[in-house]
Amino acid sequence: MSAETRPEKHPQLARDQGGLVPGPTRRRVLSAGLAGGALLLTGANGCATGGAGATGAKQLTGSPGAALTGKVVIWSWDVAAKAMQRLGKAFEQAHPGTTVEVVDIGYDNAYDKITVGLGAGSGLPDVLTVEGHKLPTYTGNFPNALVDLTSRAEGLRSQYTEASWRTVTDAGGRVRALPWDSGPCALFYRRDLFQQAGIDPAGLATWDDYVTAGTALKAATGRKLLILDAKQDSLFAMLLQQQGQRWFVDGKVAVATPAAERALTLLKQLVDRDLVDFENGWDGLVSGTHDGKAATTPTAAWWDGTLTADLADLSGKVGVVPLPAFTPGGPRTSNSGGSTLCVTAQSRNPETAWGFLSFLLADKANQASMMRQEGLFPAYLPALDDPYFQQPAPYYGGQPAMQLFAGLTRSVPTVELTADDSKAGDIVTTAVNQVLHNGADPATVLRSAARQIATATGRQTLG
Amino acid sequence: MTSPPVSLRERAAAVQAAPTRRRRSPRTAAWLFAGPATALFVAFFAYPLGASLYQSFTARRDGADVWVGLDQYRRLLHDPAFLHSLVNTGLILAVQVPVMIGLALVLAVLLNQSWLRFRAGWRAVFFLPAITTLVAYAVVFQVLLRTDGGLANQFLQALGLDPVDWLNSPTWARISLIGSVTWRWTGYNAVILLAGLHAIGRDQYEAAALDGAGPVRTYTGVILPQLRPVVLFCVITSTIGTLQLFDENYVLTRGGPGDATLTPVVYLYKVGFQQLDFGYAAAIAWVVVLIIAAVSLLQFRLYGRERRR
Repeated sequence: MSAETRPEKHPQLARDQGGLVPGPTRRRVLSAGLAGGALLLTGANGCATGGAGATGAKQLTGSPGAALTGKVVIWSWDVAAKAMQRLGKAFEQAHPGTTVEVVDIGYDNAYDKITVGLGAGSGLPDVLTVEGHKLPTYTGNFPNALVDLTSRAEGLRSQYTEASWRTVTDAGGRVRALPWDSGPCALFYRRDLFQQAGIDPAGLATWDDYVTAGTALKAATGRKLLILDAKQDSLFAMLLQQQGQRWFVDGKVAVATPAAERALTLLKQLVDRDLVDFENGWDGLVSGTHDGKAATTPTAAWWDGTLTADLADLSGKVGVVPLPAFTPGGPRTSNSGGSTLCVTAQSRNPETAWGFLSFLLADKANQASMMRQEGLFPAYLPALDDPYFQQPAPYYGGQPAMQLFAGLTRSVPTVELTADDSKAGDIVTTAVNQVLHNGADPATVLRSAARQIATATGRQTLG
Repeated sequence: MTSPPVSLRERAAAVQAAPTRRRRSPRTAAWLFAGPATALFVAFFAYPLGASLYQSFTARRDGADVWVGLDQYRRLLHDPAFLHSLVNTGLILAVQVPVMIGLALVLAVLLNQSWLRFRAGWRAVFFLPAITTLVAYAVVFQVLLRTDGGLANQFLQALGLDPVDWLNSPTWARISLIGSVTWRWTGYNAVILLAGLHAIGRDQYEAAALDGAGPVRTYTGVILPQLRPVVLFCVITSTIGTLQLFDENYVLTRGGPGDATLTPVVYLYKVGFQQLDFGYAAAIAWVVVLIIAAVSLLQFRLYGRERRR
């Protein structure tokens, strides 16, 4: 299924798809919680993960030009694992004496395994795949568990967008991972439905235009405007990033801001006008799109992979335009998803691990090949010059769709990420649900969510 | 027996009298026997328990655990998500447990009928949901409850009713959860009740029949009153199970939509493993322990009174 081929790029959707797989049983969770507690206790007493020292993170100490040897074990999943298996062989050939072993740990248990390994200070491989939005939660809670890559990675800074680089930089300004793929956003739309309704998608300059067009489109075609799973916060987060923020601004809780209110009011408007088709999880999104339940999908470039692989019968019927803006002339893109690779402090071979990271990710040819073969949209900007991006795509009716995304990548607004993001995200999701399902007032629930986040994180509220 | 009986004491005296053999003192021997179990208990039970209790008084700040006293517990008092999870649990307790025990009783009585053929087979069939793996459980219910073309909705539409958004609407998600928990545990409880019914002799039925009681009167007047301790046992275990509810709502809804099907243990999992707020998660665990202890104590009191009757 699609979700198994691309979940690493869309965490929330993938997480829900994980409902098909057993979670830990009740009893196992309790005992795991207790065991985890025990492990953290030892950590606090001075083991690998403990200590408040902001300077204690392991550094890369070898000389940069030295020959690489030894084995590197990597945890990843699905297409990301496939890409690394393919390019791992190339790395082994380029550096005789090295071995790259990729372990596909599966998305559903990946973070439980990583969390336990970080808490225990043992049991982790050399390299971890971590989605960008989850990285700050780990670096914030386990500041010394990942190797400080700053000395080697700093020189690569100009090869990435500021938004990407911010994702891999911790609160102390140190580089803790290398960006892999990114998720610049735009609006996918059904050419046939827009044509039938006589609406020009190029005219969707603002979200107000979008709502108006949606009403007309529904009257003409009977189809709704977009598919949503309110149990997940991805669209709301995307609408916030489009306006240049996530949950926190300057370290303060920022979910009761005018931007957040605009985003949530937009979602409420769409629901009130019956333009939203609620579906369950990733499978619901894919099958709903297949059945043409909605005319648009505001999402990231990686949606292309699912469309072309799983929804091939829509070929020629899909087009892409930039996201409508909140204010005329405002930003017309955002980011959703994207992964990173980091080296664990437990690694016995951090130099070789870093060697593989830079070979795989900071390399134009390799990044372009992962776009072509695995559909991983490169975060490494030089790769966007690859001729692949200029090609007209038959699936999009001849439109060079990837060129549009490549063009939007550089204008993805940068947002602040913190160790408290997953906590805030959970609270916000509940608030969004109150609006979408119970018709609550956006401003009121956002204020209450902001208070809750402030209490839970000990942070101040903005404004 | 052919050999003359020798008392244990005599044997022990003989052994102790033997001068050539050095024996460990009985106390050492006791520790040797109890040692492995004690070591395992300390390593895998007492220590984690103590550690989690300690952890519930700490918070993670900049990667280190800091002592915060009762702060985490104070946070719980004002945490709408946690309070919501308690309300949900109360609702499930009030609705699901009575319905399930009632169904289990009916099922047990049916399975106890002498005219029923393949009784062992039926028992196994009804017990199966309780031991079904979570993967199968999740797949079946997601297919069953899918909004588009799910079996439940196909059935409704065949009856000319509107399809229901089983997992996306707060109310229906709760109903789905209650239904699926009931499906999973009714057979389990029925088998326990059946064992209770087996303990009631045939003569009781005969005596009731001789006194002119019909089948319904026999059960309500004679059999059920004797089954009360077993019913109470089922209520207690089901109550504890509900307070620890995790599997069912984790696989079906992850506690959503909103907090509609959130239970304390799913919340604990989210707080601990997704938000990495282990101190708070430990505090939740201990509050759940206290609630279970209180509820169990109450029910054991009732149980004790029951046995004295």
